[in-house]
Amino acid sequence: MPGRVRKRSPLKTPDRPYIALGLEGSANKLGAGIIRHAPDGSTSILSNVRHTYITPPGEGFQPRDTAQHHRDWAISVINDAVRTAGISLHDIDCICYTKGPGMGAPLVSVALVARTLSLLYNKPLIGVNHCVGHIEMGRQVTGAQIQLSFGNCLDRFARVINLSNDPSPGYNIEQEAKKGKRLISLPYTTKGMDVSLSGILTSTEAYTFDKRFRADGRAREGDTEDIITPQDLCFSLQETVFAMLVEITERAMAHIGSKEVLIVGGVGCNERLQEMMGVMARERGGNVFATDERFCIDNGIMIAQAGLLSYRMGYETPLTKSTCTQRFRTDEVHVAWRA
Amino acid sequence: MSSNSDSSWHTITMRIPFASQKHATIAKQVIEVDKELQPEVVKRVITVEDNLLVATFTTLTVRLARLTSNAFLENIDLVVRTIGEFGQDAERSQS
Repeated sequence: MPGRVRKRSPLKTPDRPYIALGLEGSANKLGAGIIRHAPDGSTSILSNVRHTYITPPGEGFQPRDTAQHHRDWAISVINDAVRTAGISLHDIDCICYTKGPGMGAPLVSVALVARTLSLLYNKPLIGVNHCVGHIEMGRQVTGAQIQLSFGNCLDRFARVINLSNDPSPGYNIEQEAKKGKRLISLPYTTKGMDVSLSGILTSTEAYTFDKRFRADGRAREGDTEDIITPQDLCFSLQETVFAMLVEITERAMAHIGSKEVLIVGGVGCNERLQEMMGVMARERGGNVFATDERFCIDNGIMIAQAGLLSYRMGYETPLTKSTCTQRFRTDEVHVAWRA
Repeated sequence: MSSNSDSSWHTITMRIPFASQKHATIAKQVIEVDKELQPEVVKRVITVEDNLLVATFTTLTVRLARLTSNAFLENIDLVVRTIGEFGQDAERSQS
């Protein structure tokens, strides 16, 4: 970390190998991952298994159906993770699960399995904040500095224009955006270190009712150049939202004197965002780090990683406190393992 | 299951057999962590009798009785399947 003296980490090097199982299911992805921290300070990912609940185009994932998906797949996903890792559940030190934020019913489904395993094998439970999981994963993979995440907005627009949810709405928006030709004006709102995404979705949606909108993306007979295609909207939405993100990231970097950006979460896979952040970071003489899609998207490993760090700091979640919470801010977490 | 017609409240009792008292107790502990979402209209009592998990719900309306028992059975189903899959491996003495 340039410009600041690195403090000594409060986390002691492990005296023996520590292994954690991580279970994640706060949204439509169910993941199980097993991670090991070795005495030499190295971290290895023993397995990382995921099953995604994919809904038809135009539909989002409903809490009830998503919970049902997680219930149906939990056992086979965990079995897969354990088998791939080549260990027994007796060998693990703790069971980490996502406490929040996310959708209530899917979170609880995964927590039920985590609790049952905890009691069967007599292993401690660790409740993990989903966002901290993303950040810790990114740090482990790249060793960088700050983060920002969002994605709901893009997903919702994908639904408006009936894009496929396979493999993910965000990915399909990115592909459509590459075919966009014109930048349509959308509300651009940044307030200090926050962005406002509320008006932008409504405005983008409103363009789909515009006289000039062509849902099939083709000009009709008698059309002038002045038409709006779904591809144009994807392009404009992406450009505007990412511009806002880049702006507040730059401001945050200026505040803390950092030159490094780490992009995490599903949107972090977007190459255009990585490119825009890259330009900004280079202009400041810094770097941008992005994790690849295996670790960008929600996964069990990130929960295992963040959970194992807490466990090694002596933190456990007692069974009776192992509830879930839909709202769980990133800054509510006491990050004991960082100086 | 029985419905109590004397008062406006409805009572449902479910008895779920497990392979052992230990497993029934695990299920009780796992389920009891999450509070009922509307405690003023849904009362829940879970006990273990030998290898039976006995859950009694007292609810203000029939609709709540249905919703509550559906949700409970869905959760129990998940716990039972998890125990079914991992129970034996867990009891294997640690090598």
